[in-house]
Amino acid sequence: MGWSAATLGLAESRTAAANQAGAVAGRRTNRSFVGGVQFGLQPFCYHDLAMTPENRSTLVHRLVQNGMGLVELHATWVEPRFDGPGISAEAAREQLRAWRLGSPVDHYRTVKKEFDEAGIDIFTYYVNINETYTDAEVDAVFAGAKLLGARGCVGSQGLDVTRRIARFPGTHGMFLGVHNHDNLSDPDAVNNEASFVKALGFSPAVRATLDTRHFTAANGDCISFLEKHHDRVSSVHLGDRRKNNGRSTPFGEGDAPLIEVLRLIRDNRWPIVVLLEFEHGTLRPAVEEVQLMFDYCKRALS
Amino acid sequence: MNRFLSSSCGLIVIVSVSVGAQSPSSTTTQTRASYDINFIGPPLADPVMQQAKETYVISGCAYCHGVTLTPRGEATDLRRSTLVGSDINGDRIVALLRAGIPQTAKLSPMPQFSDLSDRQLHDIAKYMHYARQESRYTQLVVLGLGKGDPAAGKVNFDQQCASCHADGLAGIGRKYDAATLRLRLLRPPALSGLPSFDVTTLHDSKVAAARERHNHLLENYAPTQVENLIAYLGTR
Repeated sequence: MGWSAATLGLAESRTAAANQAGAVAGRRTNRSFVGGVQFGLQPFCYHDLAMTPENRSTLVHRLVQNGMGLVELHATWVEPRFDGPGISAEAAREQLRAWRLGSPVDHYRTVKKEFDEAGIDIFTYYVNINETYTDAEVDAVFAGAKLLGARGCVGSQGLDVTRRIARFPGTHGMFLGVHNHDNLSDPDAVNNEASFVKALGFSPAVRATLDTRHFTAANGDCISFLEKHHDRVSSVHLGDRRKNNGRSTPFGEGDAPLIEVLRLIRDNRWPIVVLLEFEHGTLRPAVEEVQLMFDYCKRALS
Repeated sequence: MNRFLSSSCGLIVIVSVSVGAQSPSSTTTQTRASYDINFIGPPLADPVMQQAKETYVISGCAYCHGVTLTPRGEATDLRRSTLVGSDINGDRIVALLRAGIPQTAKLSPMPQFSDLSDRQLHDIAKYMHYARQESRYTQLVVLGLGKGDPAAGKVNFDQQCASCHADGLAGIGRKYDAATLRLRLLRPPALSGLPSFDVTTLHDSKVAAARERHNHLLENYAPTQVENLIAYLGTR
């Protein structure tokens, strides 16, 4: 699969943004294309908001509040929950699998409509696929993600699972995003350049979802990684952290080269989506914190 | 202003946010910061403990371990951690915070917090103990597992209580019913109240030590222990 703005589905949104909120009828606008970079949010950031279908309308409202036109949507915002009192984890898992295999097309379309109406593009669908997923279930997850309008599914699965499921996204015209953490003690983990390269080798449809916080905490060089592998990077999770498995920090207080990453993407016109994410502590409400982060990025690109 | 010293118990404070050296703007802006009561919860009555709680939150502990220690995702449940339970004034927690847990089977290792000050690390430990005590009290105060075992309760009493209560709390079982004994066991009234700025106990090291000892017992009580102790005290 070729790698371009078109395959990421960004060309349309960029054009719209260039047209100043794209007044062209029928064309989706994207309010968070700023300074030459497509921004979005990993709404894990709204730490006070449980990631449930019941809270989805609040999520949409907050995304609009934060000026976001693009999101990486975790499956738990979308899928019904089957856990509850008296229901074992195994039973709940089986019911979820059955729901996915039941092709709930209308459900996915309804969710997509909610985001469409708010002018929010579901860029990727975050699902931590693991060894309990059957092949049919993996296929169903990609099919559902496509109905949401997502260009790919993203997860923190290890190398073994990535190898196994790498053949699925291509059949849907999608990609599989591999998200890194900083666990350097697990040989199966995606945690540095070498493990990313292994994962990317499993299929052309595998992409890197480079988490700048965790990559920095694992003592990786985000700039070098992007310069070498930008054509295989679908997005970055942009956040700050200290090296040597250090803690997350507010933007600009850690060791992640946030400004350099943003300018590198902008100056090279790479179709890499920047998804803001934070796990640093704050006393402020999450919406306020996200706004501070977004404003920081805008200043970096101004 | 130091972010860690920003607010004690006020809901709205003025905080000077200094944008870091990496910032594209070198200006220092005056920002009206607010307090996320929905996530952090209402400010605590004790300003010292509130500061400890804020340090816990600002250091990022709450996103994984929960504000009230209800863990999220793969994080350790600190309410049931034997390491935290055996910690006295940070003697075990602080070292762990400084080092982190890089070797782990979990997706994300626990970070190290070596850049925080000794004071901040001890504040985190202090809040963990407080939250454990609150959690355990909430659980145990409503629990009624049925009849406890007075003999087992006596063993517990001899091991944990007798060194201070040399009189064996004689007569307490005739004075209070089981429900009252439960309340007094979990939170002895003489030790209640704010530990900070409490002039009535100023310089009373015995009360301070007793409070510390009872709080340590509280956060480590097993439900059966409490039932057994109540059963034993009822015979006194």
